[in-house]
Amino acid sequence: MSERPDFSDEALSHRLQTELPRHAAPAHLRAAILAAAPRPHRSTWLAPSLAALGTAALILLFLLPMLAASNRPDDVQQLVRAVVSEHSRAVMWGTRTSTFLPTASSWLTQESGIALARVFAGDDALALIGAEPVYLLRERGVALHYRDHADRFLTYVALPAPTLQLPERYRVAVASWRPVLVQDGGFTVWVWKHGDLVCFLVSDMAGGNDIERFKDYFVRVRTATEPLLAY
Amino acid sequence: MASPEFERDTLEHLNALYNFAMYLTHNPSEAEDLVQETYLRAFRFSHRFEPGTHLRAWLFQILRNTFLTFYRLRERESAVAEDGVPDWEVPMFHDAPEDSGRALEAHTDLERAMRRLPEEFRTVLLLAEVEGMPLEEVARVMSCPVGTVKSRIFRAKERLRGLLPDYRIRR
Repeated sequence: MSERPDFSDEALSHRLQTELPRHAAPAHLRAAILAAAPRPHRSTWLAPSLAALGTAALILLFLLPMLAASNRPDDVQQLVRAVVSEHSRAVMWGTRTSTFLPTASSWLTQESGIALARVFAGDDALALIGAEPVYLLRERGVALHYRDHADRFLTYVALPAPTLQLPERYRVAVASWRPVLVQDGGFTVWVWKHGDLVCFLVSDMAGGNDIERFKDYFVRVRTATEPLLAY
Repeated sequence: MASPEFERDTLEHLNALYNFAMYLTHNPSEAEDLVQETYLRAFRFSHRFEPGTHLRAWLFQILRNTFLTFYRLRERESAVAEDGVPDWEVPMFHDAPEDSGRALEAHTDLERAMRRLPEEFRTVLLLAEVEGMPLEEVARVMSCPVGTVKSRIFRAKERLRGLLPDYRIRR
């Protein structure tokens, strides 16, 4: 006599618990997580760190012209990291200067090398809190800082990058655009080309409803902002 | 900034989170990235965690949200037409595609059947049946009512039976 098959929920639950292989985390993952964890700043480290950073920046200034110019696969990643650092700096210490009408500021154009023919000056969802020139990876650019009603800080950055190409595999359709969506150090970043410029919008918005709102913020900023190379 | 105690407590769930990530991505390298990003977010936003509530559910929720944000959006991108006009009519409960070449091989019928389940069904079975989470915790991870979790478990098992060859033969 053949054994009667068990179709019950309990039998299926038992199979799931006993037959499904469990994947253990590789040993190096724990170390990688701890190494990447943000650590508190210690003021005693500040001076030597700044000195080391200054030296590194000087060395970089001499070495960079010798390196290949563009379109290496890690170019976008490097730019994203630089922009995220700039965003973190602004979150921690605020903007260095405040210009509430960046389109009217010849000083901002002169300092950044980027003219803003139109700019998203804020609305009921986002408030413009500052605009300033930035210098990232040997390029002058412009940064606009916004804050939303939930007190989340967003940074828009435009930098010259005429030959930069964005990776296709990270593109996401948002309205009629296809910006790249990347994450770095817990921050989420939209990246897109605007003529000869590359533009970024950074925030700590993460999942679920947050990302839908971040898409909406991208559309608002992208629609209303027109950066151009000034020179 | 997360305290050392918080880091230690969260790392107790590392294996469970990695296992969950493997069943979501089917790819060891992507699973590692997903878990690492989950921990970075957990450490960065540790002040938002309410002590005394379920840390495990909170971590699984971050991992799933990160997965849905970055992997689903990219999956959805493939449904976009050449003219750049997005097609948002992607059904929520579609069966997952067959395994891609770079994915980890499935060794059992049950594993293969799990991979074919839509993410919502796979997740609810992994959390409730494999991890043994109470329904309230599963509901928190999936951001839905407990009743929805119960109904998804029922439907997930029905779908799983349909995908298992031995159940199909015996019916």
